[in-house]
Amino acid sequence: MACIFVSSVLEAPVDRVWARIRDFNALPRWHPMIAESQIEDGLPSDKIGCVRNFRLQNGDRIRERLLGLSDHELFCTYAILESPMPLENYVATLRLTPVTEGNRTFIEWTAEFACAPEVEEELAHDIAQNVFRGGFDSLKRHFGG
Amino acid sequence: MVRVVRSTVLESPIERVWEVLRDFNGHDRWHPAVATSEIERGAPSDQVGCVRRFRLKDGSELREQLITLSDLEQSFSYCLLDTPIPLFNYVAHVRLVPVTDGDRTFWSWQGRFTTRRGEEQEMARLVGEDIYRAGFAAIRQHLGEAA
Repeated sequence: MACIFVSSVLEAPVDRVWARIRDFNALPRWHPMIAESQIEDGLPSDKIGCVRNFRLQNGDRIRERLLGLSDHELFCTYAILESPMPLENYVATLRLTPVTEGNRTFIEWTAEFACAPEVEEELAHDIAQNVFRGGFDSLKRHFGG
Repeated sequence: MVRVVRSTVLESPIERVWEVLRDFNGHDRWHPAVATSEIERGAPSDQVGCVRRFRLKDGSELREQLITLSDLEQSFSYCLLDTPIPLFNYVAHVRLVPVTDGDRTFWSWQGRFTTRRGEEQEMARLVGEDIYRAGFAAIRQHLGEAA
C-alpha cells in the first residue's frame, strides 16, 4: 500500500479556505490541472456517495466518489472509481485545521492506494507533486502562504 | 465543559520538536510556568500511566498523569490529578503534524475541563494563554527560532 502525505500553511482563516474547496464539484475553480467537472446523475455535490466526473487539462478523465464530508472537522474523503493511472483502492482525504496563532490554515492532503511495485514511486511522486502540491500552490497564490 | 484549542506553526522539522515535547518530564526545561518536574515512583517518563509532579514558579504544585503517548502520531494526552486551581476533569492533547511545505511543524494543543460557574472565561484564558501560547513561545525560544 502506497501512502502520500503533503501539507502546507495558507495565510487565510479556515472558513475562507473551506468555502473554496468544500464543493466536490469545484476543482476547475481552484485546481489548475482540472478543466471541467460535473456531478453524475444531477446529484448535489455534498451528497455522500455522489460521483464527480472531471477532465484534466491533458484530456484524461477521472471519476471519483465522495465518501465523507464534514463541515465540523473540515475534511473531504473520496475514492477513485476510474482513471488512466495504473492504481486501485485509491482513497484520499483533504483536511483543514485552524492555526489559531495568526488565524491561518493548516492544510493536509493524504492518499493511500495499491499498485504494481515498479510504478509505485513514480505514481506517488506524480500525485504528490502535480495534484497535491499543485493544488496547494494554487491556493497559496489565491490566499497567500 | 470548556474547550480550549490553540495551534501554531514552528519553523523547525517535526523530529526536533518531538524530541523536546515527547519527554513528559521535560517541561521544566522549557515552560516558563514550571520550576521543577519529577516523575513519581521513579517511573520512566514515557511509561503511559506515569505521574509527573510540577512545582510552578509561584510555588504551587500539581500532578498530571500521562494517558496516551504515540511516536507514530507524535502526540500525547494527559490529565490533571491534583491542582490548586479550579480545573476539574481536565484532559489535554498535544499533537504534531509535519508541514511538508518547508519542513516545518504544525502543533496543536487542546484541552477540555469543567470549572466553577462564572470562572469559565478566566480559566479558559489561563489555559489557552498562560499555558498553551506561553508554551509555544517558550519552545520557539528553546529551538532558537525567531518569534
